[in-house]
Amino acid sequence: MAEVCLEGLTKRFDTELAVDGIDLAIRDGEVLGVVGPSGCGKTTTLRTLAGFETPTEGRVLIDDEDVTHVPPERRNVGLVFQSYALFDNMTVLENVAFGPKMQGIGKTERRDRARELLSMLDIDALADRAPETLSGGQQQRVGLARALAIEPDVLLLDEPMTGLDASLKERLRTELSGLLEELEVTALYVTHDQEEAMVMCDRIAVLNDGSLEQVGRPTEIYERPANRFVADFVGTSNVLPATVENGRLDLGFATFESNGFSETTDGTAVVRPDDLTLGAGPIEAIVRDRFYLGNGVRIRAELPDGESVIVGLDRTAREVTVGDPISLDLEVDRIHVLE
Amino acid sequence: MSITTTATRYREIATEFASVLASPSTEREREQRRIAVMCLPFFVLGTFAAFVPLVVMARMSVSADPFENAGYSLEAWRTLATDSTYLTVAWNTLWFAALTTIVSVALGVAISHALEKYSLPFENVLVAVLSFPIALPGIVVAFLIVTLLGRQGLVTNLAAVFTGQSAIDLATATTVTGLFIGYVYSLVPRSTMVLRGTYAEINTDAEEAARALGAGSIETFCHVTLPQIRPGVVAAIILTFRSALAIFGTVLVLGGLTVATVRINYEISVGFDSQLAGAIGVVYFLFILTFTFASLRFVETSVVEL
Repeated sequence: MAEVCLEGLTKRFDTELAVDGIDLAIRDGEVLGVVGPSGCGKTTTLRTLAGFETPTEGRVLIDDEDVTHVPPERRNVGLVFQSYALFDNMTVLENVAFGPKMQGIGKTERRDRARELLSMLDIDALADRAPETLSGGQQQRVGLARALAIEPDVLLLDEPMTGLDASLKERLRTELSGLLEELEVTALYVTHDQEEAMVMCDRIAVLNDGSLEQVGRPTEIYERPANRFVADFVGTSNVLPATVENGRLDLGFATFESNGFSETTDGTAVVRPDDLTLGAGPIEAIVRDRFYLGNGVRIRAELPDGESVIVGLDRTAREVTVGDPISLDLEVDRIHVLE
Repeated sequence: MSITTTATRYREIATEFASVLASPSTEREREQRRIAVMCLPFFVLGTFAAFVPLVVMARMSVSADPFENAGYSLEAWRTLATDSTYLTVAWNTLWFAALTTIVSVALGVAISHALEKYSLPFENVLVAVLSFPIALPGIVVAFLIVTLLGRQGLVTNLAAVFTGQSAIDLATATTVTGLFIGYVYSLVPRSTMVLRGTYAEINTDAEEAARALGAGSIETFCHVTLPQIRPGVVAAIILTFRSALAIFGTVLVLGGLTVATVRINYEISVGFDSQLAGAIGVVYFLFILTFTFASLRFVETSVVEL
């Protein structure tokens, strides 16, 4: 376990700015998720922490020790790849024992450690198999066991679930989350899947164009996005122009008690689809689209002023069809106004 | 099954095949036709560049007359088997080709590693310079060695200036050392060409995983990179070794060692012993063929094409 601190981290590739002055701390034993659209700098941040990229500016500290110029092999950082990156010329057991071998640990001890990890990840039966004979999920477990075998100060996971099928992803996600909690390992979890980040991580950092937009607990990120980018990127949201004057929130098509919002004439209200409910509310709308999602229903409803809102409905909610006039209620307590 | 029945059966297969080639009706048959058409150049090449010369050489080696294929005599084969000169030639050919192959492939690995792993300045120029010797005739390579390491060579005279010794004593162009450098100069581009292709296929994530697990650069190369490029190394060894065996112009000019190609030339142009030249040619040909097929077992053809 260790604390990690990225101070003013900047990485430039020729003229392209990949990471722009990020300040980020990962607390001891914390799992920090890094999310953002493709090319936002999340993998570059991870690679810089691993030592495969040297920052153009800024420092990387692990337990207050400046490791900015320390090569990867001397950082004691475990790395789990999206591509698994197993050594095809070795068996599963040899893969997991490789790190301890490089650390100079004796054959018996490193094999015992590898077997223990394989057992912990429930893949001990695969010890003598070649990596190429394993399924994606099994390979990812081996990759994780291999990274944990060196008892890393920091575990870095680079989109580890990408490429796995949905059900396996969900199962592995639960297992991995439990394992990281049990091992209390400090981890940086890079993913483009917000839901995965919400489930796996204690806190989430949202990156955009190399800059840090917000860091916070999953509930904060989702319910109190710092800006419009975070609101748009994390989950689905209805971003509506809002005015807060004289204690009332005006969304154009309806006004509500403001509930302590700061006064603003040029605000933006972030309304999550689940914050709108079907019923006898003050908002009149017409259903323009309806999407069945399996675990729920999403509708796009057109408001009287021509704006549209996305509404999330329980799949047991009453049947609505395209063209139906509906009344919507808004849970004002749950909306967030950006000034 | 009688011979007649077998012949009839083969005739039927041939007729059916000819019919498929002439007017294919399914996609499978059209594919068979495309394969047959594409195999035709290889068939022609195999016949006129391998099978026919081999048969002619074999016939020549047992001819009783040195100037035409007439009568039969095993004298050339007897000489080849009993005269120690030829055993020495075979040994020289093999050890020298093997040594220069090992060095050339090792250099090829280092060069490919540098080219594929790092952004080198003027990389295109480097690649062009590296591939240059492939286009040079062996005689020109030999001349280059002479201009560098001969009595009037640049390196020789520089060494003479620094050591105070005579340039004549220091000249190595026409020794085994000069020949070795000439061979390696010609062979390195060949091994590099094959290895660069293999390097491009390397799983760099695995290398980074090894580094993160505590392996230094050399350990990563030995445990992760080398096993991945093994098919390419084997292919480079095969290609380079065969090329080394075939070098003629360089060794003819520089001397230093008598190898099979030079001896064949000697038997034809000096000794006028076409039977012996034919016998050496047959042994040489069959050795290369056997070596190639034996080596192919160690190469995954899907990874590296020879």
